[in-house]
Amino acid sequence: MKRLWIALGLLGLLLTATLYNAQYLDRLTGQLCVQLLQAEQLAAREDWGQSEALIRAAQGAWDAREFYLHVTLRHGDTDQIKTGFDETLRLLRSREGGEYAAASARLVRQLQLISEAEQLTLENLL
Amino acid sequence: MVIALLRTVILYILIIAGIRLMGKRQVGELEPSELVLALLIADLAAVPMQDLGIPLAAGVMPILALLALTMVISVLNLRSLRFRALLCGRPSMVVENGRVIEHELRRNRFTLDELMEELRLNGVTDLNTIKYAILETNGQLSVLLRAEEQPITVKQMNHKAEEPGLPLPLINDGRVIEPNLRVRGLSRAWLDDCLAQHNARRPEEVFLLTVDEQGKVYFAAKEEQK
Repeated sequence: MKRLWIALGLLGLLLTATLYNAQYLDRLTGQLCVQLLQAEQLAAREDWGQSEALIRAAQGAWDAREFYLHVTLRHGDTDQIKTGFDETLRLLRSREGGEYAAASARLVRQLQLISEAEQLTLENLL
Repeated sequence: MVIALLRTVILYILIIAGIRLMGKRQVGELEPSELVLALLIADLAAVPMQDLGIPLAAGVMPILALLALTMVISVLNLRSLRFRALLCGRPSMVVENGRVIEHELRRNRFTLDELMEELRLNGVTDLNTIKYAILETNGQLSVLLRAEEQPITVKQMNHKAEEPGLPLPLINDGRVIEPNLRVRGLSRAWLDDCLAQHNARRPEEVFLLTVDEQGKVYFAAKEEQK
C-alpha cells in the first residue's frame, strides 16, 4: 500500500508542479505584455524615454527568470523572445515608429503564444 | 508541461488497451503495462538526449509519470483480481480432452498452425494425448498430458532415488571459491587431494570443479593445460 501512495503522491506532485508552471507563465507573460503595450502607447505619444524604460524593465524581468524559463520551455522559444526584446529596443532607439510597433506587437504575440501552449485546455490536450 | 503530463497519462492508458486488445500472442513474457513502459520509456529518453533544444525536464517528467503509473497499476494488479483480469486477461483453455476449442482459438486470434507449432515446441504431436492445453496470459501455452501419457516417475516404480542436491562450484576458472568450500564442510587439504587425483597441481589449472551434497565431484581442466 505504501508503494501505491508513493506513486499517487508522485503523480499528484507532478500535476501540481506543472499546473503551477502554467499559472506562473501566464502571470509572467501577462505582466510583460501589459508593459510592452504601455510602452507602445508612450512611443505613440513620442515619450521615447519612458517607453524604453518600460521595455527595459520587461526585458529585465524576463532575463531574471532565464534559468527557470530555460529549464521549462523549449530553448528555441526562449531564444526568440530574447531576440524579440533586443529588436524592439533597437527599433525604438532608432525612432522607427512603424517598425517598432510591428516588432513590439510580434513580441507580445510570441509571449501570449508561449503562455497559451502551456495552459490546460482541451484544444492544447488534443 | 501539464499538457505533456496529461498526454503521457492518456497515451499510456491507450497503448495498454491497444496491447490488451491485440491478444495474448503479442504480449510475450511481459505484462501489458510492463511492455508499454519498455516501449515508451526508451523513446522518451531519446528525444531530449538527441534534441538539445528540448529541456531535460520535458523528458524527465513523462518518464516519472510513467514509472508512477506503472507502480499504481502493479499494486492494483496485486490487490484486485478483477483489475488483474481486466488488464492481463484470463488463461484460455484451447484444448480439452484432445478436442480443440475453436471459439477460444478465435477469441485469442490464435491460428491452428500456431497451436500445432506451440504443441510441437512442447514435445506433443498427437492431440489425443492432451488433457488440457491452456493459453496463459503471458502468451505461452501450457500443455498437460493425460495421466496415461505422462512420464513414469521413480516413485511410481517404487524405487528409492538418492537426492544429489545442488552442485556447488569450488573452483571457477582457476579461482577457489572459499565460501562454497566452507558450505560443503571441506578443507583446502581435501581440495589439494582432489586436484592430485585429477592430475592437477594447482587450482589455476582447473576450469570448473563442483561438488554436490553426496560428495560427487565434477572436474574440468583448463583447455591449454591439457
